[in-house]
Amino acid sequence: MKRQKMFLKMITASILRRRSRMLVALLAIAVGATILSGLVTIYYDVPRQMGEQFRNYGANMIFTPASGERLTDDTVSEALSQIDSANVVGCAPYRYEAVTILERPYMAAGVDMAEVEKTSPYWSINGEWPSQSGEILVGTSVASTFALSVGDDMTLTYDLGAPEGATVDEAKNGISENVNEKSFSVVGILDTGGNEEDYVYISLEDMEALTTEKGGYDVAELSVSANSDELSAYVDSINEDGAVSARLVKRVTQSENTVLSKLQALVFLVTAIVLVLTMICVATTMMAVVAERRKEVGLRKALGASNKSIIFEFMGEGLLLGGVGGLLGSVLGFLFAQMVSANVFNSSITFHFALVPLTILVSVLVTGLSCILPVRSAIDIDPALVLKGE
Amino acid sequence: MSLLEIKNVSKIYGPLKALDNVSLKVENGEWVAIMGPSGSGKSTMMNIIGCMDKASTGEVLLDGVDIAKESDKKLTAIRRDKIGLIFQQFHLVNYLTAVENVMVSQYYHSMPDEKEALEALERVGLKDRAKHLPSQLSGGEQQRVCIARALINHPEIVLADEPTGNLDEDNENIVLDIFKQLHREGTTLIVVTHDPEVAEEAQRTVVLEHGRLVKEIINENFTD
Ligand SMILES: Nc1ncnc2c1ncn2[C@@H]1O[C@H](COP(=O)(O)OP(=O)(O)OP(=O)(O)O)[C@@H](O)[C@H]1O
Ligand SMILES: [Mg+2]
Repeated sequence: MKRQKMFLKMITASILRRRSRMLVALLAIAVGATILSGLVTIYYDVPRQMGEQFRNYGANMIFTPASGERLTDDTVSEALSQIDSANVVGCAPYRYEAVTILERPYMAAGVDMAEVEKTSPYWSINGEWPSQSGEILVGTSVASTFALSVGDDMTLTYDLGAPEGATVDEAKNGISENVNEKSFSVVGILDTGGNEEDYVYISLEDMEALTTEKGGYDVAELSVSANSDELSAYVDSINEDGAVSARLVKRVTQSENTVLSKLQALVFLVTAIVLVLTMICVATTMMAVVAERRKEVGLRKALGASNKSIIFEFMGEGLLLGGVGGLLGSVLGFLFAQMVSANVFNSSITFHFALVPLTILVSVLVTGLSCILPVRSAIDIDPALVLKGE
Repeated sequence: MSLLEIKNVSKIYGPLKALDNVSLKVENGEWVAIMGPSGSGKSTMMNIIGCMDKASTGEVLLDGVDIAKESDKKLTAIRRDKIGLIFQQFHLVNYLTAVENVMVSQYYHSMPDEKEALEALERVGLKDRAKHLPSQLSGGEQQRVCIARALINHPEIVLADEPTGNLDEDNENIVLDIFKQLHREGTTLIVVTHDPEVAEEAQRTVVLEHGRLVKEIINENFTD
């Protein structure tokens, strides 16, 4: 106990004695630790952040019926239960039905508008999303065919006689007398640049009214915020159950992965370079400290200090600096990551407490490595030479 | 058996013989002064006896152990356990207080013990200066701290290389009084000095010239 106290006393007094020099070394370690903990925080947080960004590019998972049966609320919610609900950004089921507009065949989709807004945030709508019964969202190509604009009324005709699962052709040719008509008011024109522009969208309730039957869903589009491994795991566990067949939208998940892995490689590289620079700075400082203390080291050896004691004392100083620098760095690193996150992703990040001991450990390790050479030069000091007159 | 026995020791630096075939015996409890002109090899001899340097040839028996043949690690242990060193330039650790400087020696030897360290300072008349840094002490006071440090582990032999070289008359007398007391207590003392007055206090004076032991004077007037 007394020995440790004396040891601590000696190394702290020695550090305080060389305040300005040690401050420089401490700064170097703190900067290194800041970059380390900051970038690691970003490294872990970016996938989440990027995921959120990528969710803007639309659904990354699709549910379709595994058998000939349509999807139902039950099968969809059962499949959804396989996915961590916190990760589900949106789940939009689609019910497609063949309809005619002024005797021309079209496909109408019954959807939950609020969910579609979440899974397809990139949809550009001239006008508004339908919010109540009797309102319809029309694809631009449909709108231009019939010269429709926001505020116009239009009628969808559904052939009740048509057998279940009627195709576009059947709908076109087999116009029967047994039809149901419903009038809609155009509230929005949909512009996506894709084939969504050939459809009209109404609420699920209106679709039930139009077809006079409950029906099911043909497909459900999901936006799930998770990395590609987790997504694959979700897909696998859903497919095992059978009623719903899930698959990933490869285009979206893959580009997400490429960007992520490039970013993570960059983070790794920058961290490594900064740590090497820290090491050089600390090594230089400790070299100078040893040179400055040659006489003292000689004296300690003359008093009977073993090489082990000398190593302990210098390493003790180095590691103390490393620890304090690491602690400083883990706090500053969080602030740094927070700043980057706020500026780049417009969101805040969570503080990872596990990073504090990790940062301190790495700082201590890096400082220890940097001290190896200076300490070697310290144990090479010859007491006889040093103590000879000035 | 003598405490220290130097047999035909030479120390060679290239063309220069810093010590040239020197032999000397020092008995337990003896007080020996070493004199000689600058460059005659006095410090070289002290470094060899103090286990900080090795002789090129010859034997150095300390307590019957030939330290000329020991490993560096063993020499460090012998230095720590058996030898107390006092230097002309004091050599205190400048960021530690007087009492802490004494405790450094205890730290390497066994256990730092503040009470014992304070007693050692009291012995050299510095109890009230214990918490001062070396820069806040006079040269004489610093040298007394060094003496307290050299004595703290009860060495078998105290080696002092020009201990009064940087001191004024008053401080020189204080240091000499401490040496006299050490001698009375049975400590073996080897003191290098330029000052005949300091040498006169010893039982015996050996004179080095060009690395050779040229003269040995027994102090007839020596009184315990
Ligand atoms: N490490 C060394 N390398 C080369 N020559 C050395 C070395 N150490 C001492 N010498 C030489 O050995 C000789 C004896 O030196 P030493 O220091 O023992 O003298 P000294 O008697 O203590 O002198 P002073 O009274 O000035 O202290 C000197 O000529 C010195 O230059
Ligand atoms: Mg000398």
